[in-house]
Amino acid sequence: MLEELLMAFINGILLGGVLALLAFGLNLIFGVVKIIHMAYGQFVMLGFYFIYYFHTAWHMPLLVAMGAGIVVMGLLGMLVQLLIINPLLNAPRLNQLLALASLIIVLENLAQVIWGADYRGIPISMPIIQFGDIFIRSSYLLAFLGAIATLGILYLFLHKTYFGLAIRSVAQDVEIAKGMGINPKVIYYITLAAGGALTGVVAAFFIPIYTVHPHFGASFTLMAFVIVVFGGMGNLMGGFISAFIIGVVTSITAVLTSTEVADILALVMFILMMMVRPQGILGAKA
Amino acid sequence: MLTVDAIDTYYGEFQALEGVSLKVEKGQTVIVVGPNGAGKSTLLKTILGLQKARTGSIKFQDEEISGLAPHKVVERGISMVPEGGRVFPELSVQDNLRVGSYNPVARPNAQRQMEQIFSLFPILSDRKRQAAGSLSGGERQMLAIARSLMSCPKLIMLDEPSLGLAPLVVNMVFDFIQQMKKEGYAILLVEQNANKALKVADYAYLVESGKLVYEGDRDSFDKNPYIKTAYLGL
Repeated sequence: MLEELLMAFINGILLGGVLALLAFGLNLIFGVVKIIHMAYGQFVMLGFYFIYYFHTAWHMPLLVAMGAGIVVMGLLGMLVQLLIINPLLNAPRLNQLLALASLIIVLENLAQVIWGADYRGIPISMPIIQFGDIFIRSSYLLAFLGAIATLGILYLFLHKTYFGLAIRSVAQDVEIAKGMGINPKVIYYITLAAGGALTGVVAAFFIPIYTVHPHFGASFTLMAFVIVVFGGMGNLMGGFISAFIIGVVTSITAVLTSTEVADILALVMFILMMMVRPQGILGAKA
Repeated sequence: MLTVDAIDTYYGEFQALEGVSLKVEKGQTVIVVGPNGAGKSTLLKTILGLQKARTGSIKFQDEEISGLAPHKVVERGISMVPEGGRVFPELSVQDNLRVGSYNPVARPNAQRQMEQIFSLFPILSDRKRQAAGSLSGGERQMLAIARSLMSCPKLIMLDEPSLGLAPLVVNMVFDFIQQMKKEGYAILLVEQNANKALKVADYAYLVESGKLVYEGDRDSFDKNPYIKTAYLGL
């Protein structure tokens, strides 16, 4: 039992890394564009399908297919900015939320029309690593390490480049940023492209772990949203920490009870957080 | 250098500026005084392109800039020090300065410009890694001024730089404006503190309820009986 719990803990941490990546993207978009990308998990689903399609139908080598999938998802992010967010930039928040929520339905049905309702995946067998009585799936470990490396690259992008600087200043004070010669529209496109590409990265790490179907994204949208609110909306560090908390709690609960109870617990934590500390663990009081 | 001709600016249906015209020549320091809510900030925002003028024209170096997006205006050499020394609180002092050099014209000189600013404001150099939000009000105002210099401007617009600062700090800010003037920058300064502002002014305008009500050089302002009683407290 102790080994099982320890393994669940480790898996929670490993999964938490990937969730942190997802939360980072959602947080970045919220922080900069002040919009909640409700269809973020569905983007992961699309990314998964694209990589699958590029690999099986166009016979691209897997790594090339993953790269292409990441690029396509970045472009799709920009398309969402162009077609949905730009026209609604000054609209009431509820309208923005509903428009992006309806994107969920559009994307899920589009996936069903194009790829059908069957479960699809790319069979890759990756070894299981053993430490004494502890077994770790190398696919999880790879996803975790990749996610941490991606977060590191994002950190450098945000802190060492002019675009990153512009993104951070637009997030803090868009009017003053304009006065500094920054065109926020350009920054929004870059942010959505980065956020979109991130879903491609997450999808690539999920390839050896999951199979995809049109409703694959729903749970990730929910998970990312729970994590981001839990950590404090727009707070990148809060999202990072809460990704691991949520990852570990759901993973251990799933071992002790079942995955359904784990999902319920995550949502109960979310609701409690909304009641007790709506600004999240690291969010500033509004 | 800058010619504003009969601009009207609205917030929705509310008219904030009504037929305002003014001029800033090369190397000149021009001030706009007037009470709170007279439209002084709106004037600067309209010049920078943050607000759109419904009618009228704004020319900078013989080029129409009215209707241009702010980043285009900044590129042409106008920078603004926003009211209350609004800096990016979570960015470091150094990053705040770097944002000032974001436009492609200023970027190649950013490093040199930053070194110059650090020698001019040693306090900013000492705190360059600190979050700007942790600075005092006066330091924040200094940072906002320094940041505006980073964009290689020809004209610097300052929005109420003395607002909310202790008298000693206000003196420091105006000493610095004097220094910028000596270096040849054209300055458009908007102030409620007419006494202080007039000391650095070459030419002055008085704005009340969105309209220009008086203009003249420093002497004629000093001598005008209405201005004397209403704004200079003499």
